[in-house]
Amino acid sequence: MSVTTVNATTPAVRKTQQPDKANKRRVKPRDLAIGLVLPLTILLLWQVAAQRAWISPIFLPLPSTTLFSFFDMVERQSFHIDFLASISIVTQAFVYGTLLGVGLGIAAGLSQTVERIFGPTLDGIRHIPGIAWLPLIVLWVGIGPAAKIVVITKTVFFPVFLNTLQGIRAVEKNFIELADVLTLTRWQLVRKVIIPGAMPSILVGVRYGASLAWALVVVAEGLSGMEGIGYLIFRAQSLLMTDQLLVCMVVIGVVGFLIDRSMALLQRHVLRWKQGFEG
Amino acid sequence: MSERGNLEISNVSKSYQVEGKELRVLDHINLKVAPGEFISIVGPSGCGKSTLLRLVVGLDDNYGGEILLDNKPISGTSLQRGIVFQDHRLLPWLTLEDNIDLALENSGLPNAQRRRAVAEHVALVGLTGFEKVYPHQLSGGMSQRAAIARGLVSRPEILLLDEPLGALDALTRLRLQEELLRIWRAERVTMLLVTHDVEEAIYLSDRIVVMHSTPGRIASDIKVDLPWPRDRASHEFADVRREILRSMDAYSSVAARAA
Repeated sequence: MSVTTVNATTPAVRKTQQPDKANKRRVKPRDLAIGLVLPLTILLLWQVAAQRAWISPIFLPLPSTTLFSFFDMVERQSFHIDFLASISIVTQAFVYGTLLGVGLGIAAGLSQTVERIFGPTLDGIRHIPGIAWLPLIVLWVGIGPAAKIVVITKTVFFPVFLNTLQGIRAVEKNFIELADVLTLTRWQLVRKVIIPGAMPSILVGVRYGASLAWALVVVAEGLSGMEGIGYLIFRAQSLLMTDQLLVCMVVIGVVGFLIDRSMALLQRHVLRWKQGFEG
Repeated sequence: MSERGNLEISNVSKSYQVEGKELRVLDHINLKVAPGEFISIVGPSGCGKSTLLRLVVGLDDNYGGEILLDNKPISGTSLQRGIVFQDHRLLPWLTLEDNIDLALENSGLPNAQRRRAVAEHVALVGLTGFEKVYPHQLSGGMSQRAAIARGLVSRPEILLLDEPLGALDALTRLRLQEELLRIWRAERVTMLLVTHDVEEAIYLSDRIVVMHSTPGRIASDIKVDLPWPRDRASHEFADVRREILRSMDAYSSVAARAA
């Protein structure tokens, strides 16, 4: 692409929006450093508070103790098995919830009839929080991963569904008219115009759903079952193993952070056509 | 090719229902456009000139009278009738070439020919090198060129232009008028341009149709007999402009006396 070679009759591509990825996307070391200041300060405060015993070591172990405890858990308690159990539940539920949400969202977005059939029921279900469904579903399918997958699927489904529906309804009427002029079939209209047009909104729902899913798995595992990172955190509390509790908290935080960042990257990639989109 | 693109609008009327009352926007419109002709429709806003284009392109089937293309009544939209809107209406999620290619989705052409047609039309509007660019990276003038390429790529018999240059700055506008003339000569396609810019209409057209409003009707049909290239500063040009403005009732009584 020769964006730079422009003659007099073709006005130049607007300078500010040149697809100059190398320059624009790279995070400067200084910006990265600024982002690290606050976490490091908190870590320092934690260290000082624990060392000076402002808080009893039973309730607040040293950062170093916590770190050792992490390796200890991996080595002797098979921490990674619990970790993977949680990840597996969240991944499955996220995939099901997203597929259902996008699928039904598109169907309802395209057809008022579908929306009328499902709308009231879904609105009712939506207002009963996922976690309130858990006890009943556990009675049905047991305390294994299935119940948690069902509940988290429900939690992912709604933001994805609602944002898909709203995104489709918000596609510009002018574009629909254009599709008519270009004699596009209904299917071509959906594929080329409606779904891409709704994509920014769909991805907002998916990103939100992903963060909800990860938060909810901790609660669900704490309430039922014998494995997973949520189970560990509540067990650590009842056994007063504060170091293990903190390990779980940090791991949950880091994973949540990574999930959101990868969702942002996905958004940025899929929506690269959008002007000035910065995730 | 030059014998196709024969448009005949006969006795076309169009009304809307507004609060239970009938509002007539087009009243017995009669217009014949010969193959390869460049016709402009000028008139005040609200005279129904854009509505007329919507009927011809086939976005609205609810009207009285008949619209014939090559002696056949039109029905619905068709790739035989292309249109360029005032807003370029490029899909922001498609690259420039994919936007143009979208008009060939149902053309029945094999892929290789589609690619060739797109490349030819990108070149025709002077955008070679920008094929992979997204619309937000294009200037207003470039976007409108792309929209013209999309309107022409399916080789329509008639191209309808709904104030395509209305939103551009003055200089870009002059350049694109030049481009339109060049494209019109290269493609020999019938053009029907709706504009509120009288000078633009005179510069480009074989004939100019002046419309009046409430209800929208044709007031006069003026042949522009000036040689090309046309000189906007010439006396003859000014004479045509005076005639058209007069026919539009643009002059107040005082200005009319002065003119």
